[in-house]
Amino acid sequence: MTTFRQLLHGRFATLAVVVLVVLGTLAARLWSIQVISASGFTTAAEANRIREVSLPAARGRILDVKNRPLVTNRPVMAVTAQAAAAQDTTLVARLSTAIGVPTDEILKRLASYKQARLAPRVLKVDVPIQTASYLVEHSSEFPGVTVEESAVREYPGGSLAAHVLGYTGEISEVQLNAASTPDVQIGDVVGKSGVESFYDKVLQGEKGFRRFEVDNQGRVRTVLAEGAPRAGKDIRLTIDRDVQAVAEKSLLDALAEAHRQGFTKAHAGAAVVLDVKTGAVVAMASVPTYDPSIFLGGVTPAAWAQLNDKASEYPLNNRAIMAAYPPASTFKAVIAAAGLQTGVITPSTIFNCPGFWTGMGKQWGKWCWDHSGHGDVALARAIGQSCDSYFYEVGKRFYEAKGEKLQAFARSMGLGSTLGIDLSGEVSGRVPDAAWKKAYNKNYPEYQQWLPGDTVNMAIGQGDLLLTPLQLASAYAALGNGGVVVRPHVLDSVLAQDGSVSVETTPQVVSDPHLSAANLSVLRSALVGVTTTGTGRGAFRGFPVSVAGKTGTAQVAGKDDYALFACYAPASAPRYAIVVVIEQGGHGGSVAAPAARQIMSKLFAVPYKVVHTTDISR
Amino acid sequence: MRQPLSRILRDRLHIGLLLATIALLAYGGLMVWSATATMTGHTALVQRQLQGVALGLLPLMVLWLLDYQVLKAWTGPLMVALSLLIISPRIPGLGASVSGATSWLQIGSIRLFQPSEPAKLLFIVVLAAVIAEYGGRIEKPRDVLKVAGFAAIPMALILMQPDLGTGLVFVAITFGMLLIGGLKGRWFVALALAGVMLVGIVFGLNAVLVSALNKPDGVLIKSYQLDRLLVFIDPARDPKGAGYNLQQSKIAIGSGGLTGAGFGMGTQSRLNFIPERHTDFIFSVLGEQLGFVGAVILLGLYLALLASALSVSGSSRDLFGALIAAGLISMWTFQILENVGMTIGMMPITGIPLPFMSYGSSFMVTNLAGVGMLLSIWSRRYGTTTT
Repeated sequence: MTTFRQLLHGRFATLAVVVLVVLGTLAARLWSIQVISASGFTTAAEANRIREVSLPAARGRILDVKNRPLVTNRPVMAVTAQAAAAQDTTLVARLSTAIGVPTDEILKRLASYKQARLAPRVLKVDVPIQTASYLVEHSSEFPGVTVEESAVREYPGGSLAAHVLGYTGEISEVQLNAASTPDVQIGDVVGKSGVESFYDKVLQGEKGFRRFEVDNQGRVRTVLAEGAPRAGKDIRLTIDRDVQAVAEKSLLDALAEAHRQGFTKAHAGAAVVLDVKTGAVVAMASVPTYDPSIFLGGVTPAAWAQLNDKASEYPLNNRAIMAAYPPASTFKAVIAAAGLQTGVITPSTIFNCPGFWTGMGKQWGKWCWDHSGHGDVALARAIGQSCDSYFYEVGKRFYEAKGEKLQAFARSMGLGSTLGIDLSGEVSGRVPDAAWKKAYNKNYPEYQQWLPGDTVNMAIGQGDLLLTPLQLASAYAALGNGGVVVRPHVLDSVLAQDGSVSVETTPQVVSDPHLSAANLSVLRSALVGVTTTGTGRGAFRGFPVSVAGKTGTAQVAGKDDYALFACYAPASAPRYAIVVVIEQGGHGGSVAAPAARQIMSKLFAVPYKVVHTTDISR
Repeated sequence: MRQPLSRILRDRLHIGLLLATIALLAYGGLMVWSATATMTGHTALVQRQLQGVALGLLPLMVLWLLDYQVLKAWTGPLMVALSLLIISPRIPGLGASVSGATSWLQIGSIRLFQPSEPAKLLFIVVLAAVIAEYGGRIEKPRDVLKVAGFAAIPMALILMQPDLGTGLVFVAITFGMLLIGGLKGRWFVALALAGVMLVGIVFGLNAVLVSALNKPDGVLIKSYQLDRLLVFIDPARDPKGAGYNLQQSKIAIGSGGLTGAGFGMGTQSRLNFIPERHTDFIFSVLGEQLGFVGAVILLGLYLALLASALSVSGSSRDLFGALIAAGLISMWTFQILENVGMTIGMMPITGIPLPFMSYGSSFMVTNLAGVGMLLSIWSRRYGTTTT
């Protein structure tokens, strides 16, 4: 009996060692996992169970100056899914059929990189109730897919003021990458143009969040924390919905009138109404226009292609600030002001108009629009009849005076640079000078020198001079408000949650050309003469409010003439400056001026009367 | 002559073994309670586990009272019974397959038990009887082959089920018993090499057959078994599929830290991230809730159990008893290594539960029966026999 025990003694020791090694190894490994690298596993456990979603904030509304809604929100259903859904190809295919989004688009949205890893991805906004209920009823076939309440923009006025309001859309990859705040994610709705874009931060509000605990199936067990979203603020614009509607109507009517007069290439135009004292934009219209609601939930590629097709005349462009035109004779008021201010002319300076002006020598002679000539003309009749020879002569004198005083004055009127309106995309236009010409023609040495003819052409609003309709309106507002250029703006105020005003736009002077009251008075009576006895008399026959305005007919190479009209009214106590431009619409007095009259009928509550008139001036 | 009760208890009762077993049962009961706390049928599961313990006390008592030496005479019938047990799930009308390899014996619709569990005990007894014949020295190649042959038959049968986990337990038992049985060191090396070669051949043949017969599920080795092995080698492979269990288990144990999230706490257990958390992965629950301290306490209890078993083995009046005890030690040691090891990525994932801890009646009854055998050997260490 003892023999086998002696035999076994060493073997038991071996077995004991094996047992100790096994238990010791396990203990050592557990020490390494549970004590040395515990924190990494704790983080992983948290990542397992905690999910966070952001709660969208309601976007602020946009109201008109009388608190009437221009843009509001409409509740809709949105379909979202967890990123992991991308791995299930049959699920993606089923989803594609259910919500009508192509599979590659779904995969793109699921794969979005910038988004918090665990937050659900928005696949489609504004799904019909049938689709929403189908997804909810068949939720077992759509794991990780949820239907959530959301909201989209609604436009009570349809396309009304579309260019000012702008449209919203899903944040682009570029915007995502540029975003500084981490809570910006794909699927976010942001302003893409107009007020929606410019005041996006105000309208956007602050997202809320909901953090909850989920089990291994992703089912929510408990809500751990919640932060309520803060709704975006409502903003009130300076736009008057009624005036805006009339301004848009007047452009369409003007296009029809142009066609009636044989200018069949007229398809586009712009109108601006400014408050002369504050720079508030009362109306800003641009045709052709578009319906901002087509961008809700993503614009279709076909619609997008059409909006950007040349044949469509680019309806997304707000021509009032994005297009620059030769102002033609509407600019003569600015030239006259410059002449009076710099002493180049006086109100009684008389120049002779022989019909063919040869002030720069016979070989450089230029026609007045009235080839028979105006004879001896002083300033008032020169403006009233829009005499070109008179202004050729003024231009020539400015050239001879040297120092580019005409350009300096034009710039002091806010021209040649952006006015800083609170809308994106404003262009600067162009006030040409010697330096500009040299740089512009740097590859053509023979065209680099500034010639007398350049100043002469500029003096009738042609040549290389380009102004936006807004700049022209702003210049006329300055003539009407006593001589200062005020920054145009569309925001009246930002409203607090209770509707009270939290931020208000205060009028800002951009520049002061130091026009004397006497000179302004001379200009006013000359401009009133335009609408009473001059080139605009037909358009304003019988109009009870005195209007200080100027017609313009711009020549554009290869195109029909552009019709322009710029004015302020009432002439005695100016309140509004109005500009109408009709591309390839023909003459200012017969096409643009009646449109301005139509707008003013609304502004001054005067019964509207359709006028058909003729104008052969330029 | 009648002996005083205290004397009887001292002679027949191994206090260390008893205390270790009771402590493990209590610890296991608590962990099953905690692991199933957020599961549907929590109460029923805990009740069934307690029933399993109660049921296990019966074979414990019977085997304790029974003179283990009687078993030696029954080697032939026991070998037959062992073989029948192993193949029983394959007998039509008797077997039921649950989740892959877990095979059950059932008659009609009544599920009885997992035959692979008692098979482990029978395997130990049969092998002990065979090895004991050689008196503690297995040196001749003929003897080695004979012993290896006896061990190989049930092993082959269990691998054919296929039940890789139990097969590995058989291997561990064999090695442990051969150590006590007197196999020379060079033979261990030879057997190990033969085993490695055999595994290599099986894997190679499997790969050939899979491509030849176009059976992607596997022929000799099931594809999920292969996956588990590959995940063991590279845990980052497929973290949502085969690697998921391992990853979640490691997260649970690691996040437990030094003292754990607290009993009944722990998000990995509570929120179902740990798979099979009351059976194969109960250690992950323990690790998360009770931390390194709780885990070391468990390992300490196992040390007490195995040390007690070693003392039983060393005190045995004969080689047969010592071998049985050694077989049980090997079985438990390997199962602890494999089960705890798989939850922390040290071992590949197989369906081997944790002794006295994991939920499951067949397993519990088998382990308690093993304790009964140890008590039987201990009781008779001086050559005394009951009645």
